Amino acid sequence: MRIASRGRSHIIGGMILGLVSLAGWFIAIQSERLDVREASEAAFRAPSGEAQLIGVELLPEMDPMMCEWVPASASGPALFAQEQSGSAADAVERVEIEREPVRVIRDTYSTYSAIAVDLNSDEVYMQDENLFGVKIFNRLDNTPASAAFTEPKRVLGGLDTKLEFNCGLYIDPVSGDMYSVNNDTVDTMVVFPRGAEGNLDPMRELHTPHRTYGIAVDEAAQELYLAVQYPPEVVVYRKQAAGDEEPLRRLTGPSTQLEDAHGIALDTKNGWMFVSNHGSDSDYRQAGSGQFHPPSITVYPMKADGNAAPVRIIEGPKTRLNWPAAMAVDSERGELYVANDSDDSIVVFGVTDNGDVAPRRMIRGPSTGLRNPTGVFVDTKNHELWASNMGNHRATVYSLDADGNVPPLRTIRSAPADKPALAIGNPGAVAYDSKRDEILVPN
Amino acid sequence: MAHPQIAVFARLAKENSQPTRLIAGQKTLLSRTMHDIRYDAIHDEFMVTNPFAQAIMVYRGGAHGEEAPIRVIMGPNTQISGSAYAGVDRLDVDPIHDEILVPTGTSILVFPRTANGDVAPIRIIKGPETMLRGAQTLAVDPVNNVIVSSFGSSSRLDPGDPRAGGLTAGTGGLLIFNRTDNGNVKPQRVIYGDRTGIVRINQLQTYPPKSLLVAAMPGAGNEQEPEGVFVGVWSIHDDGNVAPKWKIHGPASLMKKPRGVTLNPKNKEVIVSDMRLNAVLTFYFPEMF
Repeated sequence: MRIASRGRSHIIGGMILGLVSLAGWFIAIQSERLDVREASEAAFRAPSGEAQLIGVELLPEMDPMMCEWVPASASGPALFAQEQSGSAADAVERVEIEREPVRVIRDTYSTYSAIAVDLNSDEVYMQDENLFGVKIFNRLDNTPASAAFTEPKRVLGGLDTKLEFNCGLYIDPVSGDMYSVNNDTVDTMVVFPRGAEGNLDPMRELHTPHRTYGIAVDEAAQELYLAVQYPPEVVVYRKQAAGDEEPLRRLTGPSTQLEDAHGIALDTKNGWMFVSNHGSDSDYRQAGSGQFHPPSITVYPMKADGNAAPVRIIEGPKTRLNWPAAMAVDSERGELYVANDSDDSIVVFGVTDNGDVAPRRMIRGPSTGLRNPTGVFVDTKNHELWASNMGNHRATVYSLDADGNVPPLRTIRSAPADKPALAIGNPGAVAYDSKRDEILVPN
Repeated sequence: MAHPQIAVFARLAKENSQPTRLIAGQKTLLSRTMHDIRYDAIHDEFMVTNPFAQAIMVYRGGAHGEEAPIRVIMGPNTQISGSAYAGVDRLDVDPIHDEILVPTGTSILVFPRTANGDVAPIRIIKGPETMLRGAQTLAVDPVNNVIVSSFGSSSRLDPGDPRAGGLTAGTGGLLIFNRTDNGNVKPQRVIYGDRTGIVRINQLQTYPPKSLLVAAMPGAGNEQEPEGVFVGVWSIHDDGNVAPKWKIHGPASLMKKPRGVTLNPKNKEVIVSDMRLNAVLTFYFPEMF
């Protein structure tokens, strides 16, 4: 009983001590904050047109011999010389420093934003948005689990290529020309011939709107479609357009319901155009017009122009859309494949789907190897579906019929399996969290 | 840029280090490219802009995964705007006086820190006297009570103006206002001219204990690897055509296009994000602390 009572006393004593410590800490924090505020208020100077005392700082003790004595009768030049000397001493030293960083956070491996297959050469092209360039592999490459990674067959990259933040990819099914959309900085779509390698100039360049993301081509009409994030629009050019050529058509305006547009795909059999939207929206000409909308896929006639409304919208919780990115259409099967970035999935809709509809099929789950897929390609010749994953240095390929938590048929991996993909892209800012001793990096 | 996210790393992380947290997904309301992020240590919050939705989003300091913001400033009363090219670009937080500051190109909007929804600014610095043209970034010094803002090549500074250093359009500079300025006020000081080396300024920070400002100078926006890039440190009392007090630059720095900069005074570090490298570089820099 006595032992129990003593234990209770210890507990109560501990609680009191804890409360006192907590109160002390709280007072200290409040005091510190008040100190800062008072310092702030004291330092603030309201303009008065007169000199004001803003602070007092005691001078350090000085050796009296440091100052040269100047008699009151000294001539003007002597006083001036001393003043000049004082000015020089006050001059601020300006220092240029070449210094190595003590630490670097970066991903040293390729991260793939987009993917396409050249069905004539049986090669897979993968957009490397981390190291900037295009890596080309054999279509049947399959990285063994024991291998560190698969070496690409060719690499295209370097300043001359203008490949940077490259996120849209198209391979001409006849010529094998490669079209790359570069989302930022260069605002230029670049075209290279089949087999291009190394750091070389593009064979053709087209200046594109800032933030162009997705690409699709109507080969029959020889027209090139580009989706632009913001201000959102679809611009349609001649396929062979170059330089500063103007688009043939622009789909843009509030009726279009384009909202942070990303991927674009064409159903040339039925004449429909599909655009995926993340949902952020505003009219840059009108302050305070910002809105958030659910993610969506808006559908238009391929020849839609101006401020045309969509004919159908796939949108709603059943769709599972979560930052939908690149898309591809299989016109024969009547299916639309969507790289569903933040759901780690590929979702498949019918090309006539409308409203809040569930996907027909969905590749999703830990066996799939999908992690932040942003690129997708339908290979109807080999009956395969490809995905590029921003979240794991990999391209994964599945049967076109795949559904559920299915493992890929093959995987092309460009980093050791245990290396995380950082997916840092265009880091325009950085913050330091002093509480957690962490660095925050936004894309 | 394919994938929006905020990746969080341990301060001592190096190449290929696993992020400790990732904030991404539809519910986060993020978009790319977020050109600013600020951590408020007093209230344990961080905040970013959504340039396409003309919105300011505030998150819990420990947010992770597909986590929604705890507050959003957005709507017609906010007057938040941006250009077709930039959207609403950057911001800063004053945790002492409980304010969030947002540059819009031609103005600086000041909101209560706790504002949520369609809230009007409590102060606006705007008008021809302000010289705010192409102002896309700022930082506030809550102790010395100044706001530092960038201004761009469309500034009304005439090339013949002594402060312009004889430069023509295509160069930028810094404007320094009193923190509580409101309306059509002149900046207290202007840092501008060839000695500054400024083409344009991206993220800005202040370091109140030493009355310093720190700026990421990434060079021309349309060049992949511009020349002359640096991270510069000026005094908030500098005025006119003055070079940075310190300038980190050159091949040894590895910097190709520094756009972001933040400070870790405890460890005397300057932390820089570089868009060309897709990397974060940490410099030990005791001189400025």
